[in-house]
Amino acid sequence: MTGGNATHPGYGHACFVYDDPAALHARTVEQVGVGLAAGEQVWLVGPQERDAAARRLAAVPGFTEAWRRGAVRLLRVDDAYRRDEIIDPEQQVRAYVHATGAALTAGYAGLRVVAEATSLVRTPAQREAFARYEHRIDHWMRRRPMSAVCAYDRRELGDAAIAELACLHPETNAGVSFRLHAGGDGAAAALAGELDPTDERLFAAALERADPRPVAGRLVFDATGLRFVDHRALLRLREHARRHGAVAVLRTRRPAPARLVELLGLTDIRVEVVR
Amino acid sequence: MRTGAAAGHVGYFHEAILYDSDDHLLAVVLPFLLGGVEAGEPTVVGFGGRNADLVRRALPAGAGVTFLPGGDVYARPTAAIRAYRELLAGHVASGATQIRIVGELPPVVFGATWDWWARYESAINHAYDEFPLWSMCAYDRRVTPPHVLADVARTHPRIAGPDGSHQPTGVYTEPASYLAECRPAPLDPLQHGVPVVELVDPTPARARAAVRAADSGLLPPDGVDDLVMAVSEVVCNALRHGTPPVRMRLWCAPDRIVVAVHDHGPGPKDPYAGLLPAGDGTEGGLGLWISHQSCDHVTHHRDPDGFTIRLTAGNAHFPV
Repeated sequence: MTGGNATHPGYGHACFVYDDPAALHARTVEQVGVGLAAGEQVWLVGPQERDAAARRLAAVPGFTEAWRRGAVRLLRVDDAYRRDEIIDPEQQVRAYVHATGAALTAGYAGLRVVAEATSLVRTPAQREAFARYEHRIDHWMRRRPMSAVCAYDRRELGDAAIAELACLHPETNAGVSFRLHAGGDGAAAALAGELDPTDERLFAAALERADPRPVAGRLVFDATGLRFVDHRALLRLREHARRHGAVAVLRTRRPAPARLVELLGLTDIRVEVVR
Repeated sequence: MRTGAAAGHVGYFHEAILYDSDDHLLAVVLPFLLGGVEAGEPTVVGFGGRNADLVRRALPAGAGVTFLPGGDVYARPTAAIRAYRELLAGHVASGATQIRIVGELPPVVFGATWDWWARYESAINHAYDEFPLWSMCAYDRRVTPPHVLADVARTHPRIAGPDGSHQPTGVYTEPASYLAECRPAPLDPLQHGVPVVELVDPTPARARAAVRAADSGLLPPDGVDDLVMAVSEVVCNALRHGTPPVRMRLWCAPDRIVVAVHDHGPGPKDPYAGLLPAGDGTEGGLGLWISHQSCDHVTHHRDPDGFTIRLTAGNAHFPV
């Protein structure tokens, strides 16, 4: 990604899993309120027709006026996501980069998106592409004034499919044991939660899809939010770094991973303990 | 070219010294060390403070014998194997044709934690066999309990005597057989009480959370992390390779946390499980090895009901 490395203060990228459409509606209403109060443009992207969506939100204070002047835009999934069957991650990121720029040019403080994306991730191939897109847009949101709530319907997708996407968000209400998302402060990616064999395959897929790249021979992971990491996950990070001709660097708050690295004699993983 | 009693021997030449006086000990150790120095072999002493001083005083000045810093080497068997294998590999890489080591275990390990040191004494017959090592393990007959001496005889092929003899113990048992035997460790008195945690088929994450919650500042932070790591690995193993249900129990005392994980399977097939790393980690097999280095005591217990692994963090030396 281009540009500076600082984390934008309004950074927010949440994966919101719901069983009850009323929960999604409540979250949408909340995001409209927060966005308008912050002077942002709010995009509400979902499967339903525009008029139907507008009717549901009519009772939200300020909504109708904001919709008329363009501060809130209602889009069908097909309008916001250029998709065939499977989205093109790079093209999709470019679309939101453009939309963020347009919102700023129009005088808004930023772009806030609530996207009901269930229809875009029904098949494994769709999820593969969408997961790659989720991580790339996460980097954009970390640095620029765009935030998003990505909503997925558990009744249609199930927990396993949702976990593939949820683990690539910095925030989620889905029950995932770890998260892999955009890093700040020179880190290629950030790791949070706990990494053990239970979600070994999920982690392998997430790492493959996020595909963090080294800088100057160092593939830096911000692991300050990682509470537990086992040797299998360390070996996987090392393997990923090796494929890109780099050493893996783990920035962590606890010295336990350093003891593990020493024990296993993993010379091409560095653990940097930060306080 | 190997020298002394081990001349012509291939691999590890493992002897015990069963002494009952300082003179007896020195009568075996001094010729052993001086012979090594004379032959230009790396010659090492891994004794505790008292016997290290005894030997140091008896040796001529500048004898060229290396004294390992006391205490550290024999804290945990798996770590001792790792440290010695590194030491031996280093000497071989530097061209050594034989390395001589005399060592002794601190008497505290003859109590509640003897079982894993008995496993150590047996396993090293295999673990050091790729090196041209001649070593002697010294046991003071006056303070070593009979059941420990019985294990010493079964884990050492020979006894080095003060008369220069090197006699077979006669009851030496190959490590693969010895380690496959059921060797019950004494029950920690805490295990007679009600556990503070009892979980059935916990996820590794649930097991880790239970250890963190039980600690409440009892162990130093690194000690908690190490126990969390060990419990996580042991629970993973039981869930993956054991026979359900897997039951985890945890007890606390002011000086230690004890965790027992039981399943209905036969336990690990590898006789060296925990003492030596199995594979390179990509296929599993490192979990038990890591656990043995992250805890102050690990026991394996097999009975008709299945396999129990018990982990202790803190003071494992309860009175037996």
